[in-house]
Amino acid sequence: MTTDKCTNVIEKCIDLKGSENCDDANMVDISISKDVLVIGAGSFGLEAAGKIAAQGYSVSVIGVKTACARQSGCSSEMLETGKVNIMQDVAIDSLAGVTGDFRAVLIKTAGNGTGCNETGCSEKVEKVFGAIVVAPQYSYSPLNKKYGLTLNDKVVSQSQFEAMLGDSESQKKILNSNNGNGSTVAFLTGFAQEGDPTLTSRVLTSALAVQNMENCNAYIYAGNVKVGAKGLERLFTQGRHAGVVCFKPSQMPTIEQTSTVEQDGNCDHKQVSETIKITIKDPVVRTDVELTPDYIVVEEALVVGQQNLDIASTLRIDADLYGFLPSNNVHRFPAKSNRDGIFVVNNSADAANTALKLKELIGNGIKKVAANKAKVDEDRCVICLTCYRSCPHGAIFWQNGAAAISQVACQGCGICASECPMDAIQIGDFTDDSLRTSIKDAVVSAKDNQKDGQPLIVAFCCKNSAFEACEAATQFGHEMPQGFRMVKVPCAGKVDVEFIMKAFVEGADGVMVAACHEGNCKAERGNIYAKWRVNEIQKRLEKMGLEKNRLIFTTIASNMAKEFAGKVNAFAAAIQ
Amino acid sequence: MDNQTKKVLILGGGIAGLTAAWELSRQNISVELVEKSCFLGGHAIGFTCKATDKCQQCGACSVEDMLKNVVNEPLINVHLRTEIKELKKSAKFNITLTKSDIELPDSQIKNLPSGKAAKGFSKYNNPLYVTDSDKDKMGSSCQITADAVIVATGYSPFDPNRKSTYGYGKWKNVITGLDLENIIRENGSLVRPSDGQKPQKVAFIQCVGSRDERLGNLWCSEVCCPYAMRMAGTVKHDNPNADITMFYIDIQNSGKEFPVFYEKIKQNIRFVRTIPVDIYPLENDGLELRHMAEEEGSPSSESFDLVVLSVGIMPGKDSGKLSEITGIPVNQDGFLDNEISCCPCSSSAKSTQASQPSTSSQSASSIAGLFVAGTAKGPAGIAASMADAGKTAFEAMKYLGVIK
Repeated sequence: MTTDKCTNVIEKCIDLKGSENCDDANMVDISISKDVLVIGAGSFGLEAAGKIAAQGYSVSVIGVKTACARQSGCSSEMLETGKVNIMQDVAIDSLAGVTGDFRAVLIKTAGNGTGCNETGCSEKVEKVFGAIVVAPQYSYSPLNKKYGLTLNDKVVSQSQFEAMLGDSESQKKILNSNNGNGSTVAFLTGFAQEGDPTLTSRVLTSALAVQNMENCNAYIYAGNVKVGAKGLERLFTQGRHAGVVCFKPSQMPTIEQTSTVEQDGNCDHKQVSETIKITIKDPVVRTDVELTPDYIVVEEALVVGQQNLDIASTLRIDADLYGFLPSNNVHRFPAKSNRDGIFVVNNSADAANTALKLKELIGNGIKKVAANKAKVDEDRCVICLTCYRSCPHGAIFWQNGAAAISQVACQGCGICASECPMDAIQIGDFTDDSLRTSIKDAVVSAKDNQKDGQPLIVAFCCKNSAFEACEAATQFGHEMPQGFRMVKVPCAGKVDVEFIMKAFVEGADGVMVAACHEGNCKAERGNIYAKWRVNEIQKRLEKMGLEKNRLIFTTIASNMAKEFAGKVNAFAAAIQ
Repeated sequence: MDNQTKKVLILGGGIAGLTAAWELSRQNISVELVEKSCFLGGHAIGFTCKATDKCQQCGACSVEDMLKNVVNEPLINVHLRTEIKELKKSAKFNITLTKSDIELPDSQIKNLPSGKAAKGFSKYNNPLYVTDSDKDKMGSSCQITADAVIVATGYSPFDPNRKSTYGYGKWKNVITGLDLENIIRENGSLVRPSDGQKPQKVAFIQCVGSRDERLGNLWCSEVCCPYAMRMAGTVKHDNPNADITMFYIDIQNSGKEFPVFYEKIKQNIRFVRTIPVDIYPLENDGLELRHMAEEEGSPSSESFDLVVLSVGIMPGKDSGKLSEITGIPVNQDGFLDNEISCCPCSSSAKSTQASQPSTSSQSASSIAGLFVAGTAKGPAGIAASMADAGKTAFEAMKYLGVIK
């Protein structure tokens, strides 16, 4: 029996790489479709399509408007592959299947995104794809209302102003305001929203352009100047040297937009003139600083749009708090979504990374994977859909009247196995039996080493975080109680109520469930399931008249060795 | 040609070099990974997790993950304490490697029963401890032939001694952001260097070396606002009574979901828009910090237990030498770079087609087969360095004909 504090359960071929180390008998060949669907025909969608097609895969690009149609994104390199099929005004209607064998229903849209027009609804086509790439297309919306402003020909959005700068007639107007004496242009940014470097870059570029026009002056009113991207600080400095004035008041400036109607005797002939006054408090000179610009340029917000939300829900991929894809999880960076085989491309680096990851996933169309990552006992399955709903990777489908698990998409987290009310699912390297044995062994080993008066502690440790931290704590010699042992689990989401109770029954004085921090779980929600279960058991322990603090839930990262030891020691002290 | 016969030499074993090596090995390309110091992982492997109860997306754990990948990958051959001496291009690259004379980092020296040794931050560092005599045995002096070369030599943190009025090195409790990372990594929480106690009043000074026209540093280091804010959150989580102030010019975004993060952190931390002038020592190792508060418009001063200087990302100290050896030019800021003109690219997670002109792939250096990845070419956080390294690996494979 091992006396290591961190008992390492030998990992079998979990992560598919280095197949030479794997027992071929446990491997199975799965064919993966070499067709790839790209949703979103903007320039990054097309860039991804070109890079993927160059690897020899057939790519279908769907979107309402294509960058090709706008003449701005179809490289000859891409078109020459003959592997890219651009389907304009086509949308995804539904998606079934799993990684390697996605069944997408595509629908011709009437340009309105619905597939229907006055003459009826168009036909649907089902196509099989090995992988899917989403290149979200966001739009901009002006934030004038937040400043109490109404848009007109003097109060314009950033996009409108950029269009004016690009148009010679409008440029002349800007030059000739004030009877040919040039214009004063004020930019408002970072008060109605935080903003980001992309938006700042647009403001700085426009402001510099204004400043370089004869007799024109640019003023920027900014919350925070977001120069955190390549070249922006230099651009900002260049602007200031050219004479662009930047105010950074601590609060949104006061803006008065007043229009006066002047009548010149002729009732049909009204002259409407508008004045806009911006006022801020200058903290240094302690007076109000007023400006009456000829133009006000208002910042814009990036808008997710219903279309992107619909795509995310159709594909069953998670978005971040604001609806932007993908969800905010460091383990997915760059370009991965919570579903293996579905990628999100937001920029050029994402496109290249996606092409690489796709090549790794699809290869030559045959993938060797471990056959026993997760298995459903068909006789026990009652098709209650619990596993389908709880699987964070979308790896579960239906076959022969029972749930089936894609060995390609499955990540072996075991959330489904723990949630299954029929106990019909077993995880290859962490079967219920093997975990029961690990728990028993851990307690027995702890008893053998436990010092008098010290508590016996069993910690269920996620292999991605707490297990790594525990091993490092041992290796770096951080002291932990002699009676401490850990049980490695594939994800805290695999820690069943039964296992926690078993640890107590076997003789543990305290049980710790150590998961990844919220938002860091490779299985998206495994840590949340674990926390729920711990809370539930704590309630039960209390009802049974037992001390609920003998069971704790904690979160930790793989690189927190010292903190891990600290948590174990604190727990030991608390229950002693 | 079989991929197996292709070989790429990567200079630098930080997060960009590790990621590039890993991505290349995924496509069966063998990699010679050359690292000047005695440990893999670069600066980032010494970074601490900045989660409170929630992950703050700092990416430090991804470095640990990537290091684990690389050390277990047989296709990647690691040369520690080794640097490049010469590079010649014919059909392939002929590279002469030599033992580096880099010192063991002071901050990592530990007293072990067996004597003094520098300690690697991760358990995946092999060796984990290096003594001076171990060091002498490490390193490769040899000739290597490679089909392509990726330079991922990283950055040097701004030397805080150049801002002498802050008294770094003179006053014990003036530390840099990197010192702070390492202190927490080592101790499990923030303690003052002078007495090992948890500080109650902590100041962060932003833009130390960055955005400084007087120094000629016309760039934002991009990572300091995110790390200082996340760190402040961690310190506050560990010690809810801590009183934390951040002195800043402009707050930069930390990536996705920034507005929520910022709103929350503003409830816990005081933000003062000004850059302090100087720091003086007080009794009990305290510090007096003088500044011109913009809001009040008058000079004021305040005492702190600990001051953290958010030192910026500067070009690698070796970038001039590397430029000479490899022929890769340095840009006007001193970073290795062939992208003479570039749009403000990619740091925003919300970048869109509408705002970002699609740039043709530009990481390729003027010499075919020679690439630059990560912070060697400019400021980037962990996530951005990893994305860039993946993109660079893609371009290197394209050059090799392994992919099209």
